[in-house]
Amino acid sequence: MSPEHIPKEAPRTKPRSFYNNPRNRALFYQLLLLLGLAYFFYSIVSNALANMEARGIKSGFDFLFTASGFDILMTLIPYDATSTYGRTFVVGLLNTILVSIIGIVLATIVGFIMGVAYFSRNWLIKRLSIVYVETFRNIPLLLQVFFWYFAVLAALPGAKDSISIGESIFLNVRGLFYPSVEEQSGANIVYASVVLAFIVIFLLRKWARKRQDETGQQFPILSTSLGILFALPLLTLFIMGVPFYLDYPLLGRFNISGGTSIIPELMALVVALTVYTGAFIAEAVRAGVQSVAHGQTEAARSLGLSERRIMSLIIVPQAMRVIVPLLNSEYQSLVKNSTLATAIGYPDLFTVFVGTSLNQTGQAIEIVFMTMAVYFVINMTISFIMNRFNDSVALVERK
Amino acid sequence: MREFKPQPALPAPIQNVGIIGWLRENLFPNIPNTIVSLVLLAFFVTVIPDLFDWLFFSADWIGASQEACTGEGACWVFVSAWMQQFIYGSYTDSEIWRVNVCLVTLGLVIAAPYMLPNELRNKIGLPLFLLFPFIGAAFLDGRLFGLEYVSTDYWGGFSLNIFLAAASIIIAFPLSFLWALGRRSDMPFVRSVCVVLIEFFRGVPVLALFFMGSVMLPLFFPEGTNVDKLLRVWIVLILFMSGYMAEVFRGGFQAIPQGQYEAADSLGLSYWQKTLLIILPQVIKVSMPNILATFIMLFKNTTFLLIIGIFEILSTTQTALTNSNWLEGHAAEGYLFVALVFWVCCFGMSMISANIERKLDTSHRS
Repeated sequence: MSPEHIPKEAPRTKPRSFYNNPRNRALFYQLLLLLGLAYFFYSIVSNALANMEARGIKSGFDFLFTASGFDILMTLIPYDATSTYGRTFVVGLLNTILVSIIGIVLATIVGFIMGVAYFSRNWLIKRLSIVYVETFRNIPLLLQVFFWYFAVLAALPGAKDSISIGESIFLNVRGLFYPSVEEQSGANIVYASVVLAFIVIFLLRKWARKRQDETGQQFPILSTSLGILFALPLLTLFIMGVPFYLDYPLLGRFNISGGTSIIPELMALVVALTVYTGAFIAEAVRAGVQSVAHGQTEAARSLGLSERRIMSLIIVPQAMRVIVPLLNSEYQSLVKNSTLATAIGYPDLFTVFVGTSLNQTGQAIEIVFMTMAVYFVINMTISFIMNRFNDSVALVERK
Repeated sequence: MREFKPQPALPAPIQNVGIIGWLRENLFPNIPNTIVSLVLLAFFVTVIPDLFDWLFFSADWIGASQEACTGEGACWVFVSAWMQQFIYGSYTDSEIWRVNVCLVTLGLVIAAPYMLPNELRNKIGLPLFLLFPFIGAAFLDGRLFGLEYVSTDYWGGFSLNIFLAAASIIIAFPLSFLWALGRRSDMPFVRSVCVVLIEFFRGVPVLALFFMGSVMLPLFFPEGTNVDKLLRVWIVLILFMSGYMAEVFRGGFQAIPQGQYEAADSLGLSYWQKTLLIILPQVIKVSMPNILATFIMLFKNTTFLLIIGIFEILSTTQTALTNSNWLEGHAAEGYLFVALVFWVCCFGMSMISANIERKLDTSHRS
């Protein structure tokens, strides 16, 4: 066929219209959105300014440097009624971080135990795991917080008839009291020895890996590390003549003096967060282990690996690829859910800042945005750490 | 030559079959497992009889006031006496039928797509579904229909939890779909606005959002306008839900093969025809289990409204517990009842979700 038989594209009668050009349309829509947003923000800002003036609410962050005038139930740093709102913020933030860290650690432990329990050969343990997950996952967290706080902890005996374990740990309606460790001179050397132990272990691991790469010989790294970790500090402890003593709580007539205590609000919140998030983590662990194809186990068995090594070398590393992203979101929701502290009065950031401080100053916009920003930053940090961790467990493909 | 006559098979050893075999296999396979089983059994044997005794046998069931609670066990009279409050809040007695009508309609609207014939589904079922939140709210309010006006201050109880959750997710459906589309858009400004919206509503604690709705939103409206508190909360719930759903839809979009888009393009469909007729149905199909999971989360989170003073079921329970006629400590009964109600709903929904997942699984995995 000669070229002239190929139908030529019909010549454009007119150039593509300006309106039908996708580039112009995209520009137009985005301009529209920009204008809409600009109008939206302009109107809320002008409304907010007018409203605040009408109600006599101050704006700006000056309030952070004025005295707050209220006390806080539990503080990790010194604080009293003359402290500033800025310090209130820090106290609340530290309490939030405290409850989040305890919650994350305990929920991970509970979640992993319950998740692995699902694969138990033991019928009872397997049922227990299923019942645990299905029960606590499907009940609102706030209800669980209330249950532990108002139904369980409030039903504990008063200080006089405290439940005591060996006259050193007391549990009563005011909280859990336990001996505190007080340091004497020389304690710093013991702390230094712990740090030293970690450094030694780190160097040892490096050396062992290098030796294995070069000679192929393995070094019993785990047992040696554990040995160093315990032996070195213990040795220093005894050489220094145990520079610590225990301050036991003493049961008085109406209250308990001495020792350290955990307030019931913190206990209720931690228990509820642990149990609730633990159920979700257990589910994630179960999904992770199930995602590893059975052929992997069979292949490992046929290579002659022991059941324990199959678990630690074959199943867990592959399951982690599924588990870690899920853990990431569970940790973030745990931190967000810790704001429920405000329902039972545990003085976390939300309670002391969005609760009390906002009531006293009325500066809703600054306070709510500061609080949101804090939770945002905490969650970004968790996400960053977990993504790093995820990179280390992710599948390394051949390039 | 003797003919080979197979002997009849011997019966399986008694310790490997039947109850004994099952017990050996599942409870006592080895020493550590046996110890654990025995400990757990001992625990159940000591706890369960007492628990059942408290829950059922020694419990008080009949009566109307606290005087009826004489037994050692649970006082279910507390729950039955407050039942109406738990379900309907302080909604006007004579108008409770409206709440019931609303709940039944909700059920019908959800079931409609399954019952209506194909051609009516999109014409009737879909608009009804999308309009339900507005019509339902107006009906409960009453003024628009010429019924007795019931202020939102009196709405409450479990029906409010259900209504708020359902009304929020229904409106969040189209909104979050738009956000998800925006996040995939080629237009950089649209994309970044959507990313900021989605990440904001996902990254901030829902409680902070509720506070924003109750203390900050009034500042943003023009002076003098008084927007109903429940309406503000509803807006916050919709936006919160949209953030999560947009991510669910994004996952759904990623699961649609590129060929679907190309096929739609080559048929000459416009952007919206392609999106609504080809992509959306498939996205909804693959994301259905996740949508339900998100809904369960939202449904449980409606209890958080207690903190800003909305009388949902948990808030009603707290009120009942501090009522001067019921001060003898019925916290355990009240919380157990609420827990049971939520558990039944959420567990039911997760069963449905698992069921749908199995039914929709038309993938070629064998």
